[in-house]
Amino acid sequence: MKKRAAILSIVIAFGFFAVAFRLVDIMLLSHERFSAKAKNQQTVEETIPAKRGIIFDRKGRELAINVKTESVFIDPRMVTSSERVAFALSDALGIKSDRILSSMDTNRRFVWVERKLPLEQTRSIRELNISGIGIVSESKRFYPKGPLASHIIGFVNIDKKGLEGIERRYDKYLTAMGENANVFRDARGNILSEGFMREIRGNNLFLTIDEGLQYILEKNLDEAIVHWQAASATAIMMNPHTGEILAMANRPTFNPNDPQASKASDRRNRAITDGYEPGSTFKIIAGVAALEEGIVKPDTKFDCTAGFIEVSGKKIRDARRHTHKVLTFTEAIQKSSNVGIVKIAQSLGIDKMYEYINRFGFGQRTGIDLVGEIAGMVRPPERWSGVSIGFISIGYEILVTPLQILRAYSAIANGGFLVRPHVVSEIHSPNGEILYRAAPEAQRIISENTARVFREVLKTVTEEEGTALKAAVDGNQVAGKTGTAQLVDPETNRHSNERHVSSFVGFVPVEEPKIAMIVVIHEPKGESYGGRVAGPVFRKIASESLSYMNVPREDYRERGLLLVRD
Amino acid sequence: MKPYYKFTYDKWIVAATAFLVLTGLVAIYSSTSVISPDLVERYQKRGIAVSQFDFVKKQIFTVFIGIIAMLVAYRIKLQYLKKMAIPLLLISLVCLLLVFTSLGISGGGARRWIKVWPSTFQPSELVKLSMVIFLAWYMSTSNYQKDRFLHFAIPITIMVIFQVILIKQPDFGAVINLAILTLSMLFISGVKLRYIFSLGLVGIPIIAKLALEPYRLERIIAFLDPWKDPQGSGYQLVQSFIAFGSGGMTGVGLGEGKQKLSFLPEVHTDFIFAMIGEELGFVGASVVVFLFFILFIRGLLIAKRSGDSFSYYLAYGISLMIAVQALINFAVVTGMVPTKGLPLPFISYGGSALIVNMTAIGLLLNISRNAQVLSEVWTEVRNNNLEDGSNIVVGKGYGYRRYGKLKIRR
Repeated sequence: MKKRAAILSIVIAFGFFAVAFRLVDIMLLSHERFSAKAKNQQTVEETIPAKRGIIFDRKGRELAINVKTESVFIDPRMVTSSERVAFALSDALGIKSDRILSSMDTNRRFVWVERKLPLEQTRSIRELNISGIGIVSESKRFYPKGPLASHIIGFVNIDKKGLEGIERRYDKYLTAMGENANVFRDARGNILSEGFMREIRGNNLFLTIDEGLQYILEKNLDEAIVHWQAASATAIMMNPHTGEILAMANRPTFNPNDPQASKASDRRNRAITDGYEPGSTFKIIAGVAALEEGIVKPDTKFDCTAGFIEVSGKKIRDARRHTHKVLTFTEAIQKSSNVGIVKIAQSLGIDKMYEYINRFGFGQRTGIDLVGEIAGMVRPPERWSGVSIGFISIGYEILVTPLQILRAYSAIANGGFLVRPHVVSEIHSPNGEILYRAAPEAQRIISENTARVFREVLKTVTEEEGTALKAAVDGNQVAGKTGTAQLVDPETNRHSNERHVSSFVGFVPVEEPKIAMIVVIHEPKGESYGGRVAGPVFRKIASESLSYMNVPREDYRERGLLLVRD
Repeated sequence: MKPYYKFTYDKWIVAATAFLVLTGLVAIYSSTSVISPDLVERYQKRGIAVSQFDFVKKQIFTVFIGIIAMLVAYRIKLQYLKKMAIPLLLISLVCLLLVFTSLGISGGGARRWIKVWPSTFQPSELVKLSMVIFLAWYMSTSNYQKDRFLHFAIPITIMVIFQVILIKQPDFGAVINLAILTLSMLFISGVKLRYIFSLGLVGIPIIAKLALEPYRLERIIAFLDPWKDPQGSGYQLVQSFIAFGSGGMTGVGLGEGKQKLSFLPEVHTDFIFAMIGEELGFVGASVVVFLFFILFIRGLLIAKRSGDSFSYYLAYGISLMIAVQALINFAVVTGMVPTKGLPLPFISYGGSALIVNMTAIGLLLNISRNAQVLSEVWTEVRNNNLEDGSNIVVGKGYGYRRYGKLKIRR
């Protein structure tokens, strides 16, 4: 019976070979096909969470961050009981159940219910574990300092797209594009952990803004707007040498964490988007031009005894009586004599006047890295009327932004250079590499000497007999200029006697300017002179800022004070 | 004058078995280290706490018991085993019936286990070995006449009794397995073919009726075209194919398999070979198949070289028992036969099968040691004038060389 045993053995051995061939067929010949099927069922495409870049101030303090939130959605096809879903969600989120029911009536497989909720609120929904309700985590932009520097930082929409300010201007740097990645899952759809969290982060921005200075500026601006019951106000503080904006604020303002709650006009960064007739602060253009061209010297005398001057048949008057005498060039600026400045401008001539307006950057954007900046308006000389040279020289018939004025004064502060204002100093990649570093851009527009002489002229403004005694800072000398411009009444289209723009622009300390600043207050009530309205605001901000920046008093030697540097 | 000898055990068998058991431990750890929550739940119902190492720890414990069982089987005198043939069959029968008492444990819609402290035991595994031992003894008795119908009918009746009990559990896989085993052994003993054929004629309607049970029918249909319903009845097979197919030549890497994450059903038991294919590729799967092939071939050689018919039938039967079960498992997971729950010997998780199979290997080694090659020994002694205590080598040229020391009793 060995034969039967052999037959059976051969049959079994054949079985082993059959298995081997079968394995070749499935594992080697169909490998590609089954691998594709395996990949298809074992992996699932998932969006990697993206985190927008963080915005820091110049000292690394966070101005815009991301917080973890969760969003609730419905997959209508997975819903077994729509009433139950509607009831649970309306109970947990306080939404009308009708709205939820109607949102489920769709062919789409994904319907948002409520986005970016705090984690505590979604926990109760998660615990209910109702089929059809899904929760995904989303990061939300959060501005920890609230309204502080809101006009600079801007805000984003719900999809984290920058809509205003830095958020919009640097959107492509801050944005982290959500990528899709294939991740492994099990048969129940659970995602397998890879041992680390995949995350895409945007680039971080470091601003030139100093949170401390910004706070000082905003605090005083708030006080001023209440005190003067003003319609609006703007203040900008800048490093005059580099163009770094140290602080910038406007009133009214808004909370970037809830931009919808504010009016569109509140969200405007008036410092760069709104033009105004600058009035007396513009007088330095004619003054500097005349000095630079050698037409005048600081002690050149002008006869202003008439108290008015006729230009092409129109009278331009001086505002105050004490200027009705013979004034030197310095006194004309110090006392802000209209007649004196018009005389200087006339001796300069239309072409030179226009040239210097252009040199100081009026009628052109400053190039600040924010959105919505306007160029202002300067008409070319061929469109000037006979009286234009007079009015323009004292700051009418032109439209400028507060930032343009500040930049012009910075040129005097820094020795004659026109700088490019900017708010972003560095862009860092998520790993900390520096991708961009702002380089100061400066262009010489007047000579060193003219700037130095004119600094002395401006210094007299805050001294005895100047227009802005109230802008003087204790211990440090301020160089600056007041401005009081009449607003155009939209009804009569003429300059109003009740509505004014009061401003003060200057820099401090005079010899080694650390800050250049402009304060513009629109429509203060009861008082209109720039020296009395904007001057004190300037002084308070400047004096607090200088101590914040540890700038020593210029007069510490005379006073016998001990200077302690840290 | 009678030469006395004692040869060494078959090292190939030991090596192949050890390799298979170790492969099994690795595969069990790989498949159960990622525990799915429902598996935890299922085992908790049976009072077993589950952690990452629980399965492999328990299996290692079982391997030690298996080694003890193997050593006992290796040392046991075959004469004694002959006497044990009927008692063993009765013990198996009792155990199988105990499943239906309060000692029985059900799982997955079947009652297949009995409680044995500290674990469980599956009597159907023991039944197979008992049947092989019984048949080997029965067919080697001097009054066994292969042509007599009665001598065919007796083992068939015993087989049917067991099968009826097994179908009650139900354990259709064990029924088929037992039938193949019994008929194969009767076939090699030389029974008339018409007995087997007529039994087949009777059996076909019964098998057909059993096969037409709705869930079995569904499996058969799924086997014919698993892609028709890959999420339903064809799911197991489709997932098994995907596991094998994604393995390719060298596999996705040990432990890297993803099909065990609830895609493959019964991945640590019936479908463990699919996971091996996925993780170790064609190379790994072929090695496993080849190891079983070695076991089978060496078992046949042991049978061939054994002197007496009991040893012959026993060795042949054990080789068949392991090979048939391995082949059925391979065929099921590669979709060559309809899906049927049968574990892969030595590799699948499960204590009863491992202990029984290692006992069977112990018996095989026992036979290999006692392989009687009298005529060869005499030839050697005569040709080389060997004396008491001299070394002797037999089995030259048969691929079955044995070394031993010659002792001549006068």
